Amino acid sequence: MGYNLLEALNVRVVGSGDRHLVLAHGFGTDQSVWQRILPLFTPSFRIILYDLVCAGSVNPDHFDFTRYTTLDPYVDDLLNILQALGVERCAYVGHSVSAMIGILASIRRPQLFSKLILIGASPRFLNDEDYHGGFEEGEIEKVFSAMEANYEAWVNGFAPLAVGADVPAAVREFSRTLFNMRPDISLFVSRTVFNSDLRGVLGLVRVPCCVIQTARDVSVPASVAEYLRTHLGGRTTVEILRTEGHLPHLTAPALLAQVLRRALAR
Amino acid sequence: MPTSVTAARQFLTEEATRALDEAVAVARRRSHAQTTSLHAVSALLSLPSSSLRDACLRARSSAYPSRLQFRALELCVGVSLDRLPSTKSVEDPPISNSLMAAIKRSQASQRRHPESYHLQQLHSSNNNNANATGCSQTQSILKVELRYFILSILDDPIVSRVFGEAGFRSCDIKLALVRPPVTQVSSRFSRAHCPPIFLCNLTDTVSGRVGYNLLFPGHEDGIDENCKRISEVMAKKSGKSPLLVGVCALDALRAFTESSTKGKSGILDGDLAGLMVMSIEKEVNELVNEGNEEKLGLKLKEVEATLEKCNESGGVRGVVLHFGDLKGLILDVVSGDFVSHLVLKLAGLMEVYRRRLWLMGAADSVEIYRRFCDKFPDIEKDWDLQLLPITSSKSSFDGAYPKSSLMRSFVPFGGLFPTPSDLKGPLSGRNQSIPRCNLCNEKYEQEVDAIMKTGSTVSVADQYSENLPSWLHMAAVDTSKGEDVAKTNAGESMLSAKVLGLQKKWNDICQRLHRTPTFPKLDINPSMSQVPIVEGPQFSTDLKQRSHGDLSVNESLFPNQSPSRQIHMQKKFLPRSTASISCTSEGRNMNFHSGLHMDVPSLTQQTNKDMPWFHHPRQSLSSCSGRTHTSSSFIPPVTTDLKLGAIYASTSQESDTTKLLNHKEHLQHLSSSVSAEFDANSETTSYQFAQSSSCSGPTSGEQFDLGDYKSIRKVLAEKVGWQDDAVNSVSQAVSQLRHRYQSSRGINCKGDNWLTFLGPDRVGKKRIASALAEVLFGSQECLVSLDLSSQDKVDHPNSIFECEELNSYEVISRGKTVSDLIAEELRKKPHSVVLLENVDKADYGVQHSLDLAIRTGKFPDSRGREIGINNMVLITTASITKGNKNVICEKKGMKFPEERILGAKNWQMQILVVSASDDAGKSNYTGVRVTTVKEASAYTSANKRKLINAVESSELEKTDTQEGQHKVPRSSCLDLNFPVEEADEDDTGSGESKSELLSESWLEEWLSQVYKKIYFKPFDFDGVANKIVKEIRLQCERTVGTGVALEIDEQVMVQMVAAAWLSDKKGALEDWVAEVLGRGFAEAGQKYNVTPQSVVKLVACEGGVVKEQAPGIRLPGKINLN
Repeated sequence: MGYNLLEALNVRVVGSGDRHLVLAHGFGTDQSVWQRILPLFTPSFRIILYDLVCAGSVNPDHFDFTRYTTLDPYVDDLLNILQALGVERCAYVGHSVSAMIGILASIRRPQLFSKLILIGASPRFLNDEDYHGGFEEGEIEKVFSAMEANYEAWVNGFAPLAVGADVPAAVREFSRTLFNMRPDISLFVSRTVFNSDLRGVLGLVRVPCCVIQTARDVSVPASVAEYLRTHLGGRTTVEILRTEGHLPHLTAPALLAQVLRRALAR
Repeated sequence: MPTSVTAARQFLTEEATRALDEAVAVARRRSHAQTTSLHAVSALLSLPSSSLRDACLRARSSAYPSRLQFRALELCVGVSLDRLPSTKSVEDPPISNSLMAAIKRSQASQRRHPESYHLQQLHSSNNNNANATGCSQTQSILKVELRYFILSILDDPIVSRVFGEAGFRSCDIKLALVRPPVTQVSSRFSRAHCPPIFLCNLTDTVSGRVGYNLLFPGHEDGIDENCKRISEVMAKKSGKSPLLVGVCALDALRAFTESSTKGKSGILDGDLAGLMVMSIEKEVNELVNEGNEEKLGLKLKEVEATLEKCNESGGVRGVVLHFGDLKGLILDVVSGDFVSHLVLKLAGLMEVYRRRLWLMGAADSVEIYRRFCDKFPDIEKDWDLQLLPITSSKSSFDGAYPKSSLMRSFVPFGGLFPTPSDLKGPLSGRNQSIPRCNLCNEKYEQEVDAIMKTGSTVSVADQYSENLPSWLHMAAVDTSKGEDVAKTNAGESMLSAKVLGLQKKWNDICQRLHRTPTFPKLDINPSMSQVPIVEGPQFSTDLKQRSHGDLSVNESLFPNQSPSRQIHMQKKFLPRSTASISCTSEGRNMNFHSGLHMDVPSLTQQTNKDMPWFHHPRQSLSSCSGRTHTSSSFIPPVTTDLKLGAIYASTSQESDTTKLLNHKEHLQHLSSSVSAEFDANSETTSYQFAQSSSCSGPTSGEQFDLGDYKSIRKVLAEKVGWQDDAVNSVSQAVSQLRHRYQSSRGINCKGDNWLTFLGPDRVGKKRIASALAEVLFGSQECLVSLDLSSQDKVDHPNSIFECEELNSYEVISRGKTVSDLIAEELRKKPHSVVLLENVDKADYGVQHSLDLAIRTGKFPDSRGREIGINNMVLITTASITKGNKNVICEKKGMKFPEERILGAKNWQMQILVVSASDDAGKSNYTGVRVTTVKEASAYTSANKRKLINAVESSELEKTDTQEGQHKVPRSSCLDLNFPVEEADEDDTGSGESKSELLSESWLEEWLSQVYKKIYFKPFDFDGVANKIVKEIRLQCERTVGTGVALEIDEQVMVQMVAAAWLSDKKGALEDWVAEVLGRGFAEAGQKYNVTPQSVVKLVACEGGVVKEQAPGIRLPGKINLN
């Protein structure tokens, strides 16, 4: 089972350090998104890379529509991987949906995580009465219908928007991984993500967190970082990256690595 | 880019190629531009021995006769195909990207299944044999079998939707395709670690769900993930009572109880089989809300009885007691007695029936649980609770799916713009509504009607068509979204034209906004042909969606579309305006001016001010000033005015005045017309502009015009006489700034329009800023002033500075950060002096925005929209100075520190006359006393009083009269002061102080970036106070008579000092003393018999706000008499 999982989710362990570091990619990408960050950390960390089950690089047959209806099965996957690898303590870097997954995982196994680094994280994307998540429900429905109607067009429109900064290579890369996802899966996953609401449980996090947010992110308004800082239960810091877009690891890897290093040192 | 048919063919086996050819033929027949998955489906269905048809036959629901359902399917496919726009017939319509992607996907899935790969190998080798030429190239390419081809086509959401409309579930079809004919496939599945998607739902009957939701069969009949996890918790030995935490927790809890009472399989089985769910939620609610204990008691008895009856052998084996929302139990509405009774009762039950009882509840957030724990510390053990984070609820999941297939069937973009090349992103379709924000709407609404009547649209269109060629040219050069957006708009206008009766106003505006710029001559008629032949209901649903969208767009944050549009416009205008300036240098400026003048108003008239491109004249101006280095004169108001400065400096004074006036007129005209119509659009207008600015050369040295400098200095010194050094350096900085503007450098380089005012004297800083606004932009109105610290301050009620605060954070509404607030202000006044006070107190979001702004010349709000700030002069202030400590020391020597003055209130004043004998124990003192009340010890009163006593060069004396009734309001006023605040900060602990440190280091960095730091001296409050006292005493002696003791309440003193500080006019306070106070004294003298024993007191009426103000100063116009 464990072995199968490691195989199915393309788990890789690289680097030569004492400490474990999990790099978890977000929606629309796969582990290749870390490739520019990776070499900077391999000397000092044993880095665990894996693909979310929804990633384009995972056999879509593994994606069970009856199972992955909430974020918890993703958390199961993560914890199972760590167990199968015999990891007892690790730092965790999660981007977007993986940040959510990391939060939930750390609630379940607080002793497993020494530090959570959340890039472009949001406890809830939809607006609520006194919460600004950045999206109205109506808008989201429109996005979904657009995705349904023409996935490729959606990808082409969404990728530059999400990448934000003017880095064509990053847009290309993101488009590639996003397009690799099977449309129905990506639609299903984004529904899952948009239906998730972590606000109530943030207080259960005991692990120190570092929220990394870019200066301008179409998916995550700046107020969300502040919300996370005030609501996360652990010691939490917020780092604002002086770059734009939802994918700083693609657009500004050097900058991100610098901040990561600092956050991991603390 | 679509792929050519031949290229696509090489990926397919012979069989699949045939299908593809057929699809291409279908597309050709319908003269569609591309071959899409839908064409493929259509072709596959019509093939003689169609495996798809066969699969459909097996997968179809038994509810309808097969013929009928196939007919429906064909109809649905036909209708969807009809929706595709037709073009000129192409020989072989190339393969659309989505279909190509399907082919790639099928390749991948085939590769993953070795057995079929093997088949394929055989196949390809056959192929090679047949071809005999040994095409080594194709050998390496995996050829897709028809079956996999169909499977992946079915993955395409468009296709599954069409199937859904006809009542098929594409996953069933997939299953049917894979299963019976190919036996080895099922064996493959048995090996698989996870079951593949299409295996999941054979059990249920299909008929009930026909038409819904074909993509996601799972969540309907599968076990809810939340329920599964709840069951997991309950199956544990200890900590088995799940307490769901999360916003959706209650929903999840309800879903769980519902499905478990329905006896759904998989929720309570295995170890948990035979449990009975009982709910006391309702009873608990009643208890909490109405104090009704009876019902709960009964219910609990019932529960207990059930528990007693439980046995291991059969029947009910245990009870799951569901108490609902935990929030009810921490509310103290009715006394906590009932609740704690209940809690204990449940704990008791738990104690006795630990193995048979499960409790279950939900809490909105951890905080609620914490509070509950605080109330009942042992609860976690007593109730055997286990927290279970819940992040999404099943019900919300269900709700995410549209319920009617009809509604789904009309996806606005899907039908009209299926081909990828048409539309860079459907998102842009959504964004297009951004310009249609409320702001515009309000303005447009009235205007639009007028246009409709007068038919001025025609002229608009005509005028626009002049520009069209150049635009088209630009569009051709950069093939970008602009065009697509326009197309979308056109599509939208088709829709709205069709439903003109409904939503008339909205869509009119939207049409006008979106259609006019690009297709001025577009009519409704030509578009008719493309409107799908679907009747009423669908349109109305669509409309609903649309209108919903319209309402919500305001909040949407997709900035990508507007920039592209704006940039287009800018480009379009560029050639024109460049042409107009390319005349001789002599007449250039004037020509330019007048030409522009002609332009702007005429445009304004013709468009009735409501076209989005109304801004473009302005924009073009700025862009050309960016590009052509000649035009020092036109970044509209800013630079025009700078030009003025140049003239002022270089030519003789006399001739200038007329010009000055002239220019000013122009300027005002222009700026008023521009800024009046300024709306959200314009945040993007300077985007390009700023970019071009960054290329402009470095600034020359620090030269400046002496004349300019002097004139500025004069104005500033008039306003703020006491800050000589600051005035000097400000005027120097500003004239340097101007010099650079006019010295043909074009736009300023980054950061040099930033100044920082450091030190005390808040009013002085503000005054200088507003004077600068007047000097630079012609009016004090052009000052945007925001206090970055006021967010963590309490309100000053009735502060004398109240009217002075142009903008405080009255409302920081949901999701609005301070940056947003600033951005909003900046947007309102694009040409202004911006004063950001107390930048040292700014939160990190603002700090960050400021950092970006100074580096990029664009101020970003929290949603990432940016506002160009190169046309502004930005001033940040901070109360710190170089030698921070020195100031504090200085402060200690002062009787009236600035913080104290800032707390001044705008009270009505009153003159009391009492006889000296009333003042027990006071000697008969004929001087003037400034009295104060004893302050709360939190305030630094102790040292202050001492210090004040120490300074006695004048006749001032401070006495303490303990007036109890004054105590409360007084201290509330003092709370606002600086020292108290600091104390607060210290209290909040290390986290805060850390952030304080951070912000300090940020401030240092910030200060290093700004163009110029200007230090302010503290205002001489004590001097002013002494002067006032002298003045009043003289007045008193003059009107009431000598020998009368005068007492001035300290509060009044503060008020007067503050007023003097604030007043624009020199000697305003003296005038006030002479007139208002003099009158008051005179009246008092008449009314009372003032003897040398009397003490005349000037006190404030606590709570009485000034009703009528004296002219020229912020003090009461009348003094009350007692």
